[in-house]
Amino acid sequence: MILNHFQAMVLFALAVSLAFAFLSKNTTSERVRYAVWAFFAFLVVAIGIGWLMYPFSR
Amino acid sequence: MNSTLENKALEMKERQTQGSPPLAVGAAVAGWIVPGLGHLLLRKWDKAIVYFLTVGALAVAGLLMRGNVFTPAGGDAFDMLGFFADIGSGIFYFLSHTINAAGPDVSRAAGDNGTRLFATAGVLNMLCMLEAFQIGMGHKNQGHRPE
Repeated sequence: MILNHFQAMVLFALAVSLAFAFLSKNTTSERVRYAVWAFFAFLVVAIGIGWLMYPFSR
Repeated sequence: MNSTLENKALEMKERQTQGSPPLAVGAAVAGWIVPGLGHLLLRKWDKAIVYFLTVGALAVAGLLMRGNVFTPAGGDAFDMLGFFADIGSGIFYFLSHTINAAGPDVSRAAGDNGTRLFATAGVLNMLCMLEAFQIGMGHKNQGHRPE
């Protein structure tokens, strides 16, 4: 199984945000809100840092 | 009559939240060997399922992407750090050669990403173990909000 960089990042963000939600929140609604927020935060930050690093790639 | 019942209910609640060191250590060790098993022993079904699936997905994906699995015989400090991260995933570490019989290949980016995913699985499972220990000791508030 070969995942490309983006797919690996999505898997990482999904798994870690889900686990963090269950580790840190007690109710279902809190967990859902936290997991969705953390998932998109992981993606936005990673893509943002990728764009910031783009000028130095060549 | 009512006050006696209330006292008994309070006593039961206190006993439930007190926990015990053997239970806590047992839950942590079980959670290390099989991710989520510690929570299963503590009857936290939802957490047990989620932790097993998240740690398992990261570990299996990392291994199938031919990520590197560090051994204690590593030469430098970074290898040892990698070993401590990897060993956290418990059974997935011990089954790594079965899951990925071809062995690691970090000459490509996929293998490198797999190394990170597998290490993440181990560290994530260590957090889950710590939580199982806390719940076993009765230190963690499990949804009982003060009224």
